[in-house]
Amino acid sequence: MSESRESGPRVLIIDDERAIRRFLRASLTAHGYTVFEAISGQEGLKAVITHRPDLIILDLGLPDIAGLKVLRQLREWSQTPIIILSVQEQEADKIAALDAGANDYLTKPFGIGELMARLRVALRHATQPTDQPVFSSGELSVDLARRLVTVAGQEIQLTPTEYDLLKLFITHAGKVLTHQQILRQVWGVGYANELHLLRVNISNLRHKIESDPTRPRYLLTEPGVGYRLRTDV
Amino acid sequence: MVTNREQPNDNTSPNNTQTAVEQPTTKNSKFFLTHLAYLKTCIQRQPWGDYLKSLALIGLVTLLGQPLSPFVDHANLVMLYLLAEVIAATRFGLGPSIVAAIASVTAFNFFFIMPHFTFAIEEAQHLLTFSGLLIVGLVISTLTARIRQQAKTAQRREAQASASYHFSRSLAEAVGLEAIVQATISHIKQVFDREVLILLPKEAELSLQTLTPDSMLDELEYTVANWVFQSGRPAGRGTQIYAAANLRYHPLKTARGVVGVLGIKPPSTSGRLSPEQQQLLEVFTSQTAVAVERNQLARQAQQNQLLLEKEKLQTALLNSISHDLRTPLASITGVLSSLYEDEAYLDAATRHELVESACEEAERMNRLVANLLDMSRLQAGSMKVEREPGDVQDLVGVALAELHHKLQGRPVTVNIPIGLPLIPFDFVLMSRVLINLLDNAHKYSPAGRPIEIRAHLAGTTVEIEVADRGPGIPPDEVEQVFEKFYRVQRADGVSGTGLGLSICKGIVEGHGGRIWAHNRPGGGAIITLALPLYQPETAQAEMTS
Repeated sequence: MSESRESGPRVLIIDDERAIRRFLRASLTAHGYTVFEAISGQEGLKAVITHRPDLIILDLGLPDIAGLKVLRQLREWSQTPIIILSVQEQEADKIAALDAGANDYLTKPFGIGELMARLRVALRHATQPTDQPVFSSGELSVDLARRLVTVAGQEIQLTPTEYDLLKLFITHAGKVLTHQQILRQVWGVGYANELHLLRVNISNLRHKIESDPTRPRYLLTEPGVGYRLRTDV
Repeated sequence: MVTNREQPNDNTSPNNTQTAVEQPTTKNSKFFLTHLAYLKTCIQRQPWGDYLKSLALIGLVTLLGQPLSPFVDHANLVMLYLLAEVIAATRFGLGPSIVAAIASVTAFNFFFIMPHFTFAIEEAQHLLTFSGLLIVGLVISTLTARIRQQAKTAQRREAQASASYHFSRSLAEAVGLEAIVQATISHIKQVFDREVLILLPKEAELSLQTLTPDSMLDELEYTVANWVFQSGRPAGRGTQIYAAANLRYHPLKTARGVVGVLGIKPPSTSGRLSPEQQQLLEVFTSQTAVAVERNQLARQAQQNQLLLEKEKLQTALLNSISHDLRTPLASITGVLSSLYEDEAYLDAATRHELVESACEEAERMNRLVANLLDMSRLQAGSMKVEREPGDVQDLVGVALAELHHKLQGRPVTVNIPIGLPLIPFDFVLMSRVLINLLDNAHKYSPAGRPIEIRAHLAGTTVEIEVADRGPGIPPDEVEQVFEKFYRVQRADGVSGTGLGLSICKGIVEGHGGRIWAHNRPGGGAIITLALPLYQPETAQAEMTS
C-alpha cells in the first residue's frame, strides 16, 4: 500500500455520475484526501492498478460492468477497502456486495458526515486491525481481556452469546455486518438463516446496554441489511 | 288430411329431412310431400304387433256380434265396431286404427249383412252404413293420432324449454370464458350426444378453446371455421359449403356480430338430429354467443376501468411530481443561490439556518420519491414482500431514527411490552409504513403535541398504533384516508401527496394484515395496523393495488 505522507489517504471514486464525483472530490479534498476518478468499471479496474488507492468508493450502478462484478474482480487480488454507493431499493445488492467483500455501503442520498465516518472506519480497519483490549464509545465500555462490560460505570451481565455478539461488533466497530455474517460468526455456518436468533439476542443486548432500546445509540439497525456498532457516540 | 306443421321425425330415411329443410321447392309440393311423409312415418313407426292387435280387436267384436245379431239392430251393431275403432285409435296409433276401420267395414259386411258370408250387398241403404262406419273410423283415427302427436310435441317442447333453461342457468353461473366454454361443451354433449369445439378470436386469429388431445384441428378445419367466423353462416360437413370438412361449424352470433365459432363433431353412434334438436341446438348456440359476448364486454369494461384508473394515477403522479417535488426543490435552489450570490451579506447563524432548511427539504424530497416509487410498484404489482422474523421495537427504532431530525422537539412516547414475540414481516417495507405513519402524525398535529406509538398482542396478531393529538379525521372520512391521493381537506394547507396511507395499506395488506383509522377520545387520530403472528398459509408473494 503506497502511503504518501504529504497528501492524505488516496481515494479512488468509480462513478459515472459527474455531479456525484464533483461533490465527492470537493468534500474529500477539503478533508485532506487525495482523489482519483474513474467513470466506468473498466477504467476503475485500471485506475486501481495505476493509482494504488488506499480506499475505493464504488457505485453499484455503472454503465459498462455491474458494480458487483467490478467488486468481485478487485477482490480477487486486492484487499483495498471498498465502500459501495447504492440507492435505497437495492437491499439485496447491498448484501451481495457486502458478502462479496465490500467493507461498507452508503445509500444515496447521503450526507458528507456519514461518508467521512465510513471512510475513517474503513481506513482504520485496513491499517490497524482492532486488537485494543478496551473498547469504549459513549458510556459503553468493554474490556475484552477481562470480558467486562460496563455502561456508565455499571457492570452489565451478558449471556455468552450476547457477549460473543458484542465482541464481534467491537472487532468490526463502525462497520456494517450483514445478518448472515453475524449468524455465521457467532452461531456457526449452519445457522446462517436463523434470523430470529439474531433478532432476539440483539433485542436482549439492547435492553442491557442501551438506555432506550427503541432509540439505540450503540447498536444501529441497517434495515434489510444488518447491524452496525457506532463508534462516535 | 294431416294439418299440423311438424317436420318429419328422426327415424325417417336419411335423405328426406335435409333436402326438405334446406331446399325449399314450391310451397305446395313441399306441403304435400311433408304430409305424405308424415303419414308414412306415422304408419311406418307402428310395430306390426299393433296392427295384429287391432285386427284381433275387430275379430273379437265380430265374434261378440254373432250371438247378438238376431236381437240387435244392424245400426246398433255398428256402434260396437265404432267402439273398437276408438280403442284402436287411442291405443295403437294411426296405422292400426285405419286398418281397424277398413277391417270393421269388411267384417260387418261379410258377417252381418245379407247375404251372409259374401261381400255382396242387397240393400243400397247399407252402403250408407258402410261409408258412415268407414268415414267415422278414419276421422277418429286421424283426430286421435293428431292429439297424440300434439301431446308428444308439447312434451318435446317442454323438454326443450327445460333444457334451454338449464343451459342458460349454467351459463349464467359460469364465471369467465373458460367456464362458459366448459358449460357449453358439457351441456351439448349431454343433450345431443355430440362432441363440440368452440373457437374464439384471439389476437385477430381464431383459436381453439378446448384443449383435449383429440380436438386438434387441421388447416382445412381452421379455414372453414374462419370462413364461418367471417361470413356468419354455417358451413362444413352436412352443408353445401366446405362439405368436405370433418365438422360442421355454426357461427356464435349476437346482435353485435359473430363472437366465435362452434364446431360440431359428427356423431359416432347416434343418428341425425331431429328438427327440434336442431332448433334447440340453435338456441344453445345463440345462448353461448350471448354468454361469450357478455364475458367479452365485461372484460372490456374492466380494462377500460383499469385504463381510466391508470390515467388518473398518471395525472395525479404528474401533479405530485410537479407540485410536491418542485416545492422542496424551490427552497433548496433558493438557499443555494443565496449562499452563492449573497455570501457576503449572510452571517453565520443565517447561513446555518438556510442550510438546515435546505437539508430538511432535501430529506422531504427523498421521502416523496420513495413514496412515488413504492406507489408505482404497488400499482404494477411488482412489490415483493419478503417476510423474515422481525422485532417490532427494532422497527419502531428505525422509523424514529429516520425521522430523527424532523421529530426534534416533539415528544414521542413508545410503549412496547418486553417479550412481544417476533413476527414475520418485510423489515424494509414495514419501516416505510411506520415512517409514513409517523410523518403523517407529525404533519397533521400541531408542533409540541405528543405522538404515541404502542404495540401489543391482539389474538393472533400484533397491533401497532400510531396516535397523535391533532384535529383527528372527520368521522365520515376514516375509510377514505387510505385511498390513493385522498387528503383530508384542511385549512392550514399541510402539503402532501395523499400517497402515504394508501402505500401503508398496500404494504400491510400484502403482509396479510389490516390497517384502519379512528379518532381518539380527547382528540386526535389513531392509525392501527394488525400484522399476523404467523405467516399466512397462502403467502402472497406479490401485492396488487
